[in-house]
Amino acid sequence: MTQLSEAPADLQKRLDRAFNPRTVAVVGDKRAMGYLWLNCMKTFEGKVYSVQVDPNEIPGIEAMRIPNYKNLVEVPDDIDYVVCAVPRPIAPRIIGDCIEKKVGGVALFTSGFAETETEDGIAVQEQITQMARDAGLLLIGPNCMGIYNRRLGVRHSTDQPAGDSGNVGFISQSGTHCINFSLVGALRGVKCSKTVSFGNAVILDAPDYIEYLANDAETEVIAMYVEGTKDGHRFFDVLRGTARRKPVVVWKGGVTAAGSRAVYSHTASLATAPAIWDAAMRQAGVVQAESLDETIDAVNALTYCKPGTGPRMGLIAMTGGQSVVITDAFERAGLQVPLLTAASYEKLSSFFNIIGGSYRNPLDAGGTIGMGFAPGNLQKLLDILEEDENVDAIAMEVGASFIARRLRENPAMLDQMVQTLASHKERSGKPFLAIAHPGHVEDVMADIRARLIARGIAAFGSFQAGAQALRRAIDYWRSRQDLN
Amino acid sequence: MSVAEVIDNARSQGRTILTEVESKQVLHDAGIPVAIAVLTHDAKAAAKAAEEMGFPAVLKVVSPDVAHKSDVGGVRLGLESKGDVERAFDEIVAAVKAAQPAARIEGVAVQKMAPAGTEVIIGMSKDPQFGPVMMFGLGGVFVEVLKDVAFRIVPLEPKDAGEMVREIKGFAVLEGVRGQKPADLAALESLIIQVSKFIEAHPEVEELDLNPVLAYPDGVLAVDARIVVS
Repeated sequence: MTQLSEAPADLQKRLDRAFNPRTVAVVGDKRAMGYLWLNCMKTFEGKVYSVQVDPNEIPGIEAMRIPNYKNLVEVPDDIDYVVCAVPRPIAPRIIGDCIEKKVGGVALFTSGFAETETEDGIAVQEQITQMARDAGLLLIGPNCMGIYNRRLGVRHSTDQPAGDSGNVGFISQSGTHCINFSLVGALRGVKCSKTVSFGNAVILDAPDYIEYLANDAETEVIAMYVEGTKDGHRFFDVLRGTARRKPVVVWKGGVTAAGSRAVYSHTASLATAPAIWDAAMRQAGVVQAESLDETIDAVNALTYCKPGTGPRMGLIAMTGGQSVVITDAFERAGLQVPLLTAASYEKLSSFFNIIGGSYRNPLDAGGTIGMGFAPGNLQKLLDILEEDENVDAIAMEVGASFIARRLRENPAMLDQMVQTLASHKERSGKPFLAIAHPGHVEDVMADIRARLIARGIAAFGSFQAGAQALRRAIDYWRSRQDLN
Repeated sequence: MSVAEVIDNARSQGRTILTEVESKQVLHDAGIPVAIAVLTHDAKAAAKAAEEMGFPAVLKVVSPDVAHKSDVGGVRLGLESKGDVERAFDEIVAAVKAAQPAARIEGVAVQKMAPAGTEVIIGMSKDPQFGPVMMFGLGGVFVEVLKDVAFRIVPLEPKDAGEMVREIKGFAVLEGVRGQKPADLAALESLIIQVSKFIEAHPEVEELDLNPVLAYPDGVLAVDARIVVS
């Protein structure tokens, strides 16, 4: 719902200013919040200004060596981005100041508007909406956390990484999910380019932000958490157009009846029937996810696996038991585990250790590849699966929790395996993913996954997670291919 | 009459539901394959219409007050001659009057009876967020009991029609089971696209039902149609 009366290209330019600010003003930060916003901006490369009138708050701000002004209009600089954290009754005045100051954009952290379903809340929301609309002010929110730009260090959580660039954009009505995506994602290899939490979306709504990220060169994959949208048809059109250019992952909240009731009191959005939502997303060619974990996993499969459209898996597991359940997991995700070619079997028979192992596909290969630590044979297996024309994609169980003590004592053991997998990925044209289960040694297995991700290898915590993420990525690339 | 005229005419009579005859007329004018029906007001006219369209004929009561025509004796199938049609006309009027004395009877619609084919349903209703949404499913229990349907947002692209048809669990029925020839999927997909275009061109259409559409090995035909306008 673009209320700004301007061409999309102009909106893009104005969003670009707010998303890539050179100056930021924080209005109304407080000691009681631990000066959250000013602390978030400590990583910001540009200039930060504070606006605060309360004499009890000013010394704390000045102690942070941040210049404070009593009025936004007095700040002796153009302001590209404002975070406003004042109480609701003050919000209209600050919006007025933003208009007068001609700021690039303002994120209104202040809440207590239409989402409260109270007369007062609705009235003040209407007031600030009208003000922003009349003046063409780029208002984000209210009831939101605003922008995170990793490269420039504009943050909305003090735990967010900063200073280097990322390639995944995220938009969310909910501030919590926006922050969690960036934080949990960072732990698992997702590097955010730009994210925005936009709350009640009174001026700019999801489609505006999606279009912005679709045109943003830094952003290669777009993910989002949505609970509903005011103009579903535009949302659908923008998703369909964007998914033809970049992978889009949509995590919908409030799918169940009780969930949709919670949506209304959260962001005052209307609910649609689940079957119709599902059809719309399929038709738009986006990937659907049902949780933060699924969203992160799908993003990783889209980011780190080579784009592939074939469903036939070559599977490598370390033990007999795992080779059975890895097969179930991939078949259940709608992928296939075919027999290999005669040529592959001939090669495998020449060296595969069949004592406690087997190689029909899945390959029960723990003995053959020394649980992954006999790089020569691991390399051979990967080459055979790479060349096998019955195999479209490869998944491998990495390590095993029962040898974790050896891994902990001698982490160098892992280096060679990671190197073997990384060089395989470089040569290979097929999607490849690794799975390292937490087992009873979560830290060791998490370390393995982190090392793999650091080398650009998609790594997951369970067979199901890996299988479903790969299935989602394959569906996405196939739907792109069907358009040609 | 153009679509707008048909709709204006219905509205002037205080109706938002187009009759079967009206619905089919506007769809036919849009190039959508429907079994066209002619509204007749007496037995002789019905017999003449049936003769022109060819036997066997089907007669259905046209009344804004009758929701389920066959429940009140308002439908007769497989009429092979002018005499059959004349008798059936009078019997339908009598049966409807007996079952529902207050019902206004505008006349009886005459159409050529279509040969048997695989029954499918194509519908459209409006979603509060996404606007017009099309629905596709197999006729009878597949839709009513098993809810085996596929949805797509209007406007559909050709690939959407293809995916929609293949998405339903009962798709195998259309591919031909128990020795039946496969249905003409290309014709079915093109019908879906035609309906999507019709809906796009007529935003005043609130609901649309083609139920059933008969899918043949060569071609498709909507034998009943219902349009609701705003």
